[in-house]
Amino acid sequence: MVAEYIGKIAEWLGGDAEAVVESLSAMWERLLPLLWYDATSPITLTSGFFLFAFLLFGVGYMAVRRVVRLRTLYVVLFSLYFYYKLSGLYVLLLLFVAVSDFVIGRRVARRREGGARTRRLVAISVAINVAILVYFKATDAFVGFVNGLYGEGTLEWGMVVPAGVSFFVFQSIAYVVDISRGVIKPLRHFSDYLFLLSFFPKMFLGPLVRARDFIPQIEQRDLRISKDDLGRAVTLIAGGIIKYAVIAKSLGVLFVAPAFAGELGDSGIVALMAIYGFTLQIYCDFSGYSDIAIGVALLLGFRLPDNFDAPYKSATITEFWRRWHISLSTWLKEYLYISLGGNRHGTLRTYLNLIVTMFLGGLWHGVGLTFMAWGLLHGVALALHKLWLKLIPNAKKVGSEMKPAWRVLATLLTFHIVAFGWLLFTADSMHQVEDMLMRIAHNWSWADIPAMVEQSEVALALMLLGYVMHLLPRRVDNAVMRGVTRSGYICQVLLIVVAVWLMAECDMLLTLSSGGDGALPMYAAF
Amino acid sequence: MNKDKDYTFRGWLLTLGVTLGVVALGLLPAVEVFGLRLERVDALSPLKETHSTEEVVEYEADMARLEEELAAMTIAEEAVVDTLPVVVPTRYDWVVEDMASEPRPHLTAAMVRPDTAQRVIAIEDFDSLPNSRFERLVERLAAGESVRIAFMGDSFVEGDILTCDLRSELQQLFGGRGVGFVPCDIPFATVRRSVKRRATNWSSYSIMKPKSAPERLRDKFSVSGYLSEGGARANVRWESVDMFPTLDSCSNARILLISRDSSSVQLTINDTIYHRLDIAADERLREIHIEAPIHSLAMEVVEGRVVCYGASLEADGGVVVDNFSVRSNNGHAIFGTSAAINRQVDEMLGYDMVVLQYGLNIMLPGQRNFSKYRDQLRDMIAYVERCFPNAVVLVMGVSDRWIKSEETGKYVPIGSVDALTKYQRAAADSCNVAFWNTSAAMAELGGMPAFVSHGWAGGDYTHINYAGGKRVARALAAALRQPVYELLLERERVDSLREQERRYIEQMRSIGVSEVLPSIDNSGAMSIEKPVVEEELSW
Repeated sequence: MVAEYIGKIAEWLGGDAEAVVESLSAMWERLLPLLWYDATSPITLTSGFFLFAFLLFGVGYMAVRRVVRLRTLYVVLFSLYFYYKLSGLYVLLLLFVAVSDFVIGRRVARRREGGARTRRLVAISVAINVAILVYFKATDAFVGFVNGLYGEGTLEWGMVVPAGVSFFVFQSIAYVVDISRGVIKPLRHFSDYLFLLSFFPKMFLGPLVRARDFIPQIEQRDLRISKDDLGRAVTLIAGGIIKYAVIAKSLGVLFVAPAFAGELGDSGIVALMAIYGFTLQIYCDFSGYSDIAIGVALLLGFRLPDNFDAPYKSATITEFWRRWHISLSTWLKEYLYISLGGNRHGTLRTYLNLIVTMFLGGLWHGVGLTFMAWGLLHGVALALHKLWLKLIPNAKKVGSEMKPAWRVLATLLTFHIVAFGWLLFTADSMHQVEDMLMRIAHNWSWADIPAMVEQSEVALALMLLGYVMHLLPRRVDNAVMRGVTRSGYICQVLLIVVAVWLMAECDMLLTLSSGGDGALPMYAAF
Repeated sequence: MNKDKDYTFRGWLLTLGVTLGVVALGLLPAVEVFGLRLERVDALSPLKETHSTEEVVEYEADMARLEEELAAMTIAEEAVVDTLPVVVPTRYDWVVEDMASEPRPHLTAAMVRPDTAQRVIAIEDFDSLPNSRFERLVERLAAGESVRIAFMGDSFVEGDILTCDLRSELQQLFGGRGVGFVPCDIPFATVRRSVKRRATNWSSYSIMKPKSAPERLRDKFSVSGYLSEGGARANVRWESVDMFPTLDSCSNARILLISRDSSSVQLTINDTIYHRLDIAADERLREIHIEAPIHSLAMEVVEGRVVCYGASLEADGGVVVDNFSVRSNNGHAIFGTSAAINRQVDEMLGYDMVVLQYGLNIMLPGQRNFSKYRDQLRDMIAYVERCFPNAVVLVMGVSDRWIKSEETGKYVPIGSVDALTKYQRAAADSCNVAFWNTSAAMAELGGMPAFVSHGWAGGDYTHINYAGGKRVARALAAALRQPVYELLLERERVDSLREQERRYIEQMRSIGVSEVLPSIDNSGAMSIEKPVVEEELSW
């Protein structure tokens, strides 16, 4: 029937009715399979499918946003669909985690005074969550290990890791622990809890949200966004796309990956630039995607916490962890470090707790020597910095308290520790770490610079641009945001469209030279 | 007041605007900015069918047309010679400096012996007659004579992956310089590390999308698969890179083009030496041959229009490896090329071997029967042999490929590599040409999982990268070196036997034995008859 109407309209417009109907129905037929989960093209906030889905979702959202329960339900349903498009039937796992911790949370609250009972309930919740995490994170490594010992094919066990599993598991643990600590009251509605866990912008890569920050937002009756919010959202989305899909992707494909693989020669300077390159790449990739998530959430009136604050401006390693992946480091501090005893059991235990926390944080990224080394490096660096603060009375905790010259030196030192950490993080083996360092130590020649610049001019220019953008003072960011806020509708639309266009062009250019998929953010692997 | 206004609806309007804007991007054509080609961005493309002008065609073998074309070409050539008062040249020379030929390397078996740690996967020559074309190739290599190889393939070798290392290894051993043939312009962005190429103001077409090309050019494609048409101000510049020791400069360059009407081009070498060349009108393929120490070569059309195929950077002598890769071509595109133009290319460049590396794109998971493809491959071989009559055809078996299992999400072998390899070998066998088993060579290196884990292949478990290409190239070079090594070893053995024999005769003479009747039988074993000692001694 619809087809008939469309045909009539087309006829009225002077077109070939039959052809129009035919092409529309052909389009419709191609659309249907796109609605199902497809492992080869999971949805992300930058996929074209998401743009159309979000537009349609917005129509209903306009209608229900003033009615809290309806709104929550509506967003939850869309979020579950989003997760289904992202990870298929693992949506059931998400539901399972939500149900189990929602139920446990209520019981914990009822027996809050109970002591041992409470601890046991919390232990059950943590055990379930950690089991899920370990299963999905460590099975691969275990199978690889066994097959390495007894020959390929001894164990055949493989699976797709559900996207963002650590993120919802972490948030779920935090919820139960917070209830047991008496920080929050359990939620009354299951849909609220599901909203907290599954809210689609943050589903994939965070930022992690805490129940105590987010629940008031879910329940607020008068949801509105201001002109400033809109401007901020546009800036975050457009900037995020540039960082994530233009700078990080191009840098990775054009320079970092080939340089690590030794395809750009074995010059020391190339190796060093590759490490700097990866340092920028992982920041742009992760923070760019986080920014998009925060921006999208803001368009719906929800404020997600900041996840990055120009981390490479940090003058100390402690400061770095306050500026890098803030929501995760906060989580590690509150639920791992403090649970281990924090700084309540003397200096030595404090240092040990720091190291253990970071070591586990490293291990969470993947079971492997390189990740362990990365975690240890950061743990030891944090502990040493704590010691330094104790020994040197004049030592400062963050850069803003230091004198300018000191600050520059300290920032450079911190940057290089962090960059060395990223080398450990991204290397496929300790052998590669050694290889890269040897290249820098023994094959250094300033004369290689012109050849390198000539070979990778585009990538190096992008790298320079990325670092300059990163080092710009905060007020520049704020000024840009104000400018975008004031610029008006057309400008804002154009800004995002141009960013999307650049992203699409980069995608097409880069898939040519890489041949791989690489459509997902790097951190999606964790 | 304004502060309290709710902008949620505005936010939705923004989304709407962005959606419309992104869809509208699809209306923009592909443009070129600063030499960078920006493709069309179409957000709705998953919903659309590919349109006719963009349509990729499937070519059918048409041997009758091939013969007609070749016959017509010969007649046309004879007509030119017979009737025209002034013969229009097909070759224009510009000698800036007389360049010495590449010195012929003096090869010993020890030098040529394959030095890979892996087992050498031998090239199987199915031509059982003595003095086969493959044997002739081996002999040319052993003698250090010039050898030209056309490497035709798909995206597997795009960007000179594999071929750049093959070329480098062969040139370092057997002599030769230069990157070989490089197209003038390619209608989409590519990255090729072994040469720098910059082309502007050309209209370029791919054989895979012939309908995007104007009618008059559709029958003008060569084995390169790309051609570019340009009028005044169309320019192109090729520049050597020093990625490999034999690539930084070369001594000869040949530009291949057609100038149907008279035209004029300006050539520039190393951005310093200029030369203007007038080209007379003619339908045939033309070659501009430049002899000079060449680091970069540029050509700009000054007047008229030319159809340019590309340029070859090379030396006089040694090995040249031309990379003719066409993405998503499974080999059938050869049927869409002009046999006459291919033959003219061969007359100018002279190929000794044509490699056919195809098949990666036709495999379906678990497919076992490729008889249809085998028949198509036979036609391809026949077509190539007609276009390049002096070249031995080497069919490369399909490379290893793994796919993601839908159940487990793990990568598993596609399950059809061995079957396709078998059919490819059968095609080579029935056409009496040579065959090399690529997947076996990759298996020697650990197969696709090892390639991925070493960073030699992309995460798609299908395409190898430069690092992986290097490994496969070494294996293929080893396969080419092996028969040369055996030949040289044999010769050295025979030579040393001859030497022994000569010394023996001399020795005998010196003690007064006048007649020694040694003979070397076919196996090379020397049997010396008992020397006859002369009875009547002169002293």
